[in-house]
Amino acid sequence: MLIKSLIAVFLAAILTENYVLSKFLGICPFLGVSKKLNTAVGMSVAVTFVMVLATAVTFPIYMYILVPSGMEYLQTVLFILIIAGLVQLVEIVLKKYIPALYKSLGIYLPLITTNCAVLGVTMLVLQKVGPDYTYIHALVNAFGAGIGFLVAMVMFAGVRGRLENADIPKSLKGLPITLVAASLTSLSFLGFAGFVEKLIPLS
Amino acid sequence: MNGILFAVALVAGIGLLIGLILSIASILMAVPKDEKAEKILEALPGANCGACGFSGCSGYADALAKGKAEVGLCAPGGLACVTEISAILGVETGSIEKKVAAVHCMGSLDNTSYLAEYNGIKSCAAALRIGGGLTACSYGCMGLGDCEAVCPYDAIHVCNGVAVVDNDKCKACAMCVKECPRHIISIVPYKNSAVVRCSNKDKGAVTRKVCSAGCIGCKKCEKNCPVNAIKVTDFCASIDPSLCTGCGVCADNCPQHCISYLSPY
Amino acid sequence: MAKRGYLKELTKGVVKENPVLCLVLGTCPTLAVTTSASNAIGMGIAATAVLICSNAVISALRKFIPDKVRIPAYITIIAGFVTVVQMLVKAFAPAINDSLGIFLPLIVVNCIILGRAEMFAGKNPVIPSILDGIGMGIGFTAALLLMGIIRELFGSGTVFGVQLLPVQILIFILPPGGFFVFGMLIMLANKLNTRAGKAVKTTPCAGCPLAESCSKRACSEDGKEAAENAD
Repeated sequence: MLIKSLIAVFLAAILTENYVLSKFLGICPFLGVSKKLNTAVGMSVAVTFVMVLATAVTFPIYMYILVPSGMEYLQTVLFILIIAGLVQLVEIVLKKYIPALYKSLGIYLPLITTNCAVLGVTMLVLQKVGPDYTYIHALVNAFGAGIGFLVAMVMFAGVRGRLENADIPKSLKGLPITLVAASLTSLSFLGFAGFVEKLIPLS
Repeated sequence: MNGILFAVALVAGIGLLIGLILSIASILMAVPKDEKAEKILEALPGANCGACGFSGCSGYADALAKGKAEVGLCAPGGLACVTEISAILGVETGSIEKKVAAVHCMGSLDNTSYLAEYNGIKSCAAALRIGGGLTACSYGCMGLGDCEAVCPYDAIHVCNGVAVVDNDKCKACAMCVKECPRHIISIVPYKNSAVVRCSNKDKGAVTRKVCSAGCIGCKKCEKNCPVNAIKVTDFCASIDPSLCTGCGVCADNCPQHCISYLSPY
Repeated sequence: MAKRGYLKELTKGVVKENPVLCLVLGTCPTLAVTTSASNAIGMGIAATAVLICSNAVISALRKFIPDKVRIPAYITIIAGFVTVVQMLVKAFAPAINDSLGIFLPLIVVNCIILGRAEMFAGKNPVIPSILDGIGMGIGFTAALLLMGIIRELFGSGTVFGVQLLPVQILIFILPPGGFFVFGMLIMLANKLNTRAGKAVKTTPCAGCPLAESCSKRACSEDGKEAAENAD
């Protein structure tokens, strides 16, 4: 039962509630970094990592410190401070212990601090808390959100690669045609509506 | 009042805790900065072209700082860069001779033609996949500008259907050499160098049919060269840059006028 | 002279350097909350309020904030104001709070606010910073309103709840419609700008507050293009 609900949460985060294409979080890096495939993958992996770590830290702080003392309003300030600090810490640790990884991913880390997707996921998982949605669900959700980000980025990098060779009218060159391509990509994801509920019946 | 105090204390407390963790981490896990490598990196041109053989300028700077690389490997940096790096490392300045890229083709639209009108992706590599390229001479420059697109110094342009190098701007980073799908660009020394402007390996009669400026393999250049620097193989002449003195005898004797020299001696 | 300078600060954010359509900042809320015109106005006003207040405070404190902790300090100040605005909206306009959802607290990571703080308020005195905030806020609200009206009109046939069209093209208020309308608006903005002889920004990274530290390496192609287009 637990496994089923975890899988359902994971798939939903990637397909039906894709953070980029359905929830509109993380659009700036989505449009900016998806030009080349390897930068897209690097960015997405870094984002996934930070998302899971951030959720792991902020979830207990909210549930066990803020709610009991009635200070839910401190959520915004504390979460963003924690995320900023966490990203700095990850950068320092990577630089020291895995320099190769730092060279390929590390440059995206400062960019992730202001990524609305990371702050978004930490706040959105808290809205879902209930009898069948616990800490582990939140972690899986965050992981799924990151993977969804990866899927969207990779697909979009492929689409943009094809756009390079196309003959685009002058006024549409650059951002307009990219946004139209994004709209069609997002349209394709609408087709997944209802997929997860059918696949993994939970009741 | 109590609530406000608690809130302020909580935020301040968490902020201080984060600051403390970060400070401890940055001390405990400090990576010793290599000052030399950073100074060298600033001295390098920063084009990340890879001509030195390392993974970009930072790779070369690290290797230099550790003493694992020679000083003169950065062609785009030139003599100024070599001098600066030698000063940082405290070694004697070596000399570096100027090299440039040379296109072994002069098949402009005046000399040769296309077999068909090409309306596909504007790239030599792409056009090459369609029937081996649509130029009349199947060895020469296609004129679709892959070299021009990849050059970081704006030193090579397609003029009148053939690629031409601007010797003042060229830094011999060799990106065009790697990019040309027909491999007709090479790096040669700038001073005292003659270049054969043809890569056509077909017999003379066949060559003349497709291009009026192609090498026919008559060997007049080979017979006249005082230092034996030029040889004809497969009906196409080629010059060994290490032997060439730039005297220009080959160029004067060539009936097709397809040899040129880079700087007047 | 000072008056003319002040007027320029105020108006540059509305048309010439419109944060959404020219600098391409704050794309997330632009796409997400413009499903109806009233949501758009609500978001615009909230963001403008935060922008003005944070610009003022950051500009007043600019000489006291050490350079190393610049970004975290700015973020904390902005987060404080966002929390205040969030509570005000919850109290006085709960309907807007529900429809904006998570994008209200996400104003804290809105690139416009952090970007203006970094690029303008951190280097200029208080009054010009406030005017810059007002200008950028008006520009942001105007762009959001435009998109909101278009999407609501075609998507639900209404504008501010008033039924104007009998036909409803649902896709306009779904995510794909958001991307599409945004792309068309940028195309129009580009056309107007190029006619006025300005270079067109081809990437959103250029206006990003962290552009200094990252766009030279992470989005290096984009960074190069942006640097060329910036003048």
